[in-house]
Amino acid sequence: MRDSGLGDHHALAVTGGVSDGTAGSKWPRRFVSGTEDREALALLLGLASLTPRRLLEAAQSRRSARACLLAVREGRIGSEGDRAHARAQRGGDILAKLPATESRLVATGDHEYPRELCDLFDPPAGLFVRGWPLPRLEPRVAIVGARNCSSGGREIATMLAAALARAGVCVVSGGARGIDSAAHRGALEAGGTSVAVLGCGIDVPYPRQNRRLLERVAASGALVSEYPPGLPPEPYRFPARNRIVAALSRAVVVVEGASGSGSMITADHVLDLGREVFAVPGAWTSALSAVPHSLIRDGATLIRGADDLLADLGLERASEEARGGEPGTPALGLGVDERKVWDALTEASPPDTVARRTGLPLPSVISALVGLEMRSLIRHVGGRFERRLGDKGSS
Amino acid sequence: MARPTLRTMYGRVFGVAVVGVHGHLIKVEAHVGRGLPSLTITGLPGAAVQDARDRVRPAVEGSGLEWPLRRVVVNLSPAGTRKDGPGFDLPIALGVLAASAQVPRRLLSAYAFAGELSLKGELVATPGILAVAIAAARGDLEGVVVPEENLAEAELVEGLHVVAAPSLAAVVGFLRGEEVPRASGSPAPAARADPGSAVDFSEIRGQGAARRALEIAAAGGHNALLIGPPGAGKTMLARRLPSILPTMTRQEALEVTRLHSVAGILTGGGLVGTRPFRAPHHTISPAGLIGGGSGFLRPGEASLAHNGVLFLDEFTEFRRDAVEGLRQPLEDGRIVVARAAGAVEFPARFALIAASNPCPCGFEGDVRRHCRCLPNRLEAYRQRLSGPMLDRVDLQLSVPRLTRSELLGSELGEASSVVRARVEVARDRQRTRLSQTPWSCNSQMPGAMARREARLTDSAEALLSGAVEGLLLSGRSFDRVLKVARTIADLAGREEVERGDVAEALGYRSGARSEEVASVG
Repeated sequence: MRDSGLGDHHALAVTGGVSDGTAGSKWPRRFVSGTEDREALALLLGLASLTPRRLLEAAQSRRSARACLLAVREGRIGSEGDRAHARAQRGGDILAKLPATESRLVATGDHEYPRELCDLFDPPAGLFVRGWPLPRLEPRVAIVGARNCSSGGREIATMLAAALARAGVCVVSGGARGIDSAAHRGALEAGGTSVAVLGCGIDVPYPRQNRRLLERVAASGALVSEYPPGLPPEPYRFPARNRIVAALSRAVVVVEGASGSGSMITADHVLDLGREVFAVPGAWTSALSAVPHSLIRDGATLIRGADDLLADLGLERASEEARGGEPGTPALGLGVDERKVWDALTEASPPDTVARRTGLPLPSVISALVGLEMRSLIRHVGGRFERRLGDKGSS
Repeated sequence: MARPTLRTMYGRVFGVAVVGVHGHLIKVEAHVGRGLPSLTITGLPGAAVQDARDRVRPAVEGSGLEWPLRRVVVNLSPAGTRKDGPGFDLPIALGVLAASAQVPRRLLSAYAFAGELSLKGELVATPGILAVAIAAARGDLEGVVVPEENLAEAELVEGLHVVAAPSLAAVVGFLRGEEVPRASGSPAPAARADPGSAVDFSEIRGQGAARRALEIAAAGGHNALLIGPPGAGKTMLARRLPSILPTMTRQEALEVTRLHSVAGILTGGGLVGTRPFRAPHHTISPAGLIGGGSGFLRPGEASLAHNGVLFLDEFTEFRRDAVEGLRQPLEDGRIVVARAAGAVEFPARFALIAASNPCPCGFEGDVRRHCRCLPNRLEAYRQRLSGPMLDRVDLQLSVPRLTRSELLGSELGEASSVVRARVEVARDRQRTRLSQTPWSCNSQMPGAMARREARLTDSAEALLSGAVEGLLLSGRSFDRVLKVARTIADLAGREEVERGDVAEALGYRSGARSEEVASVG
């Protein structure tokens, strides 16, 4: 799986449906042709009971989005609630609202429709996109991980995203808190592009704290959602969102994840898709190492830093600055005590452990730790101090 | 000039009303007049004094004395003060006995009487006896008559003749000139060491930073907040703070004893020898923490911690209004409970140690267990923790749950007596420096004065101004860092505050260092 890069992914795609020249598409060739179909599709995408898989099944016999919508309205497919919904709503209204949200509907068969999605078992029939066209945001690599991550994990995600961005890679993630946010932020702050795949309507600012971040992502890259505008976030939509994150990306980097978490689901999708998986190792005493470590055991590539990632992806690093990974040696100008304390901080330690290792009196150790912290060389986590990553160019 | 018939019907003795912690001499007058047998008490008696009405007659009769079967009026004077507490049983009984000419008056005006009576006429241990004795001494009385069990407490007041009686009958015997069963003269009991407080700093393994922070807190009178997961040892650390505080002066010990006496929690009698450690549960009501209550105003936990340590575990769980009530004692060292009947003041100068989990589940930042808190709950929790009360905490410290290897690798701490010696030296330095002011330790200095007294070296100054920008120190935090740095220098015996002192002080403001968390989200 190390070698399954961008070039040969189509080999993995299972061909289904009629080919219209869009190699590998599972959707019927004329599934979306004309305004009426687009309106029908916009409505179909918002129906909860009509998962992409069910819609795909329905499409095999009905051949067009119009026909599928008619089937829903007549109660032959979909749930009772969706039937009422489909009858009450007009797809044209949804499309009419799109300009207000600065988004557009990209349907299967469209030029802009990312071909990589066809690798999925259940590719979406259409996507709502806000921002730049997806084919212009290539190559893409995803960085995913725990929402409830550690500050170290957040730093790693930021640093890797920045390195990818400098190498010209567009960073894909899920727009959530934690690792996702750090990845988007890292890419943007390095002057790169980023794509956020949302699990709710494209105009729904979720999570709320990320409203500004998502605006910035849309301005430099794109926001993508399978769901029509206005749809609220629901827990069951996030796994579906994760499959798009995986499919859009040429490789996926997993930073942190507790077992049984959403990161594990994303990783499963990635393995199903045959995309390249990279995992950042952690201490095995940390619960957040569970997902990356089990991925490594399953054959994912362990990376020790941005250099490893760029090398394995066959990318040059854009500049010296992109280096990083191992905690480096801090800049000159440390005091004698600060230097001793820095050298003793090989692992996260409380001040008295540092005092014992260095032989310095405790008050001096605490002073030195504060000095190092003020220079952003170390970080304080719950009574212990640990080194920060050496890559200061990532912020 | 008085007519003999009237004189025989009137009696007067001294009782003491306890308001707050102060005793006030009260004249208890009794008149036995014509009318149906009854007992009326006038002069603003509180509920407990009103109760005495029904208690006194059985007690008198149970002591082999006679209750006058006539109309009895007891007046408590001055009428303006509200009289509370059960200590009035004895003076009321004696007043009636004097009015009915059953006891001689000779000694009645030289002694103050206090004590609760049982129905059989025994004297029962009564709260507030130390305040009674002090009031008697102030009122230039010769002595006090108190229940036997309160002897040690009353004897703390010097120059006062203390008569400790087991029963009303014994008191009457004393007034008739008989042998007192047990009078004063026994040696004053030694300062009492509470066996529960026999804890020592040397029992703590690891947690050097926290120990150091507590030493600074003790030296400068600073308040502290300990943040750490369950099992980190926050309570264990706080419980040992009293052991490194300077030994109480006799005056301080008397203040504590008087408060504990009024609250009725004095056990064994005698002077309280160790600084109190009070750890109220987080469900406590504002009145329970601050003092007050309907009727008799009791000192709250904050006052019971006077001259000692008030430990609030699970700080975020305390009721907001209760915690807000601590502002006044933290600033003034006293609590004024205002009621329609008037304001009552309790001393409350304590070291506040608050403890809290770092997050709702308790394991944020822990190395072995993963925090499972949702981000928005975490945010809400942090906000609760960083409320306005925290601006009044000088030292904030994270206490990690130590791993096995960290525990095994660390040594036991110094003994409390060693630390206390350093603390006392540092306190002396502060007292000397602040001798011209109403304050005695660094934490009490107002901000402007802290800035003047800090005496920073140039490099310390530079570091501090760098910190204001880099760590986003607020104005209030700035002053707190200054005061803590001042104390650190005092502990080191230096007049000037050096760069290292400021750096260390900055290390005890983990709240100011959450900038990383704040910027993400």
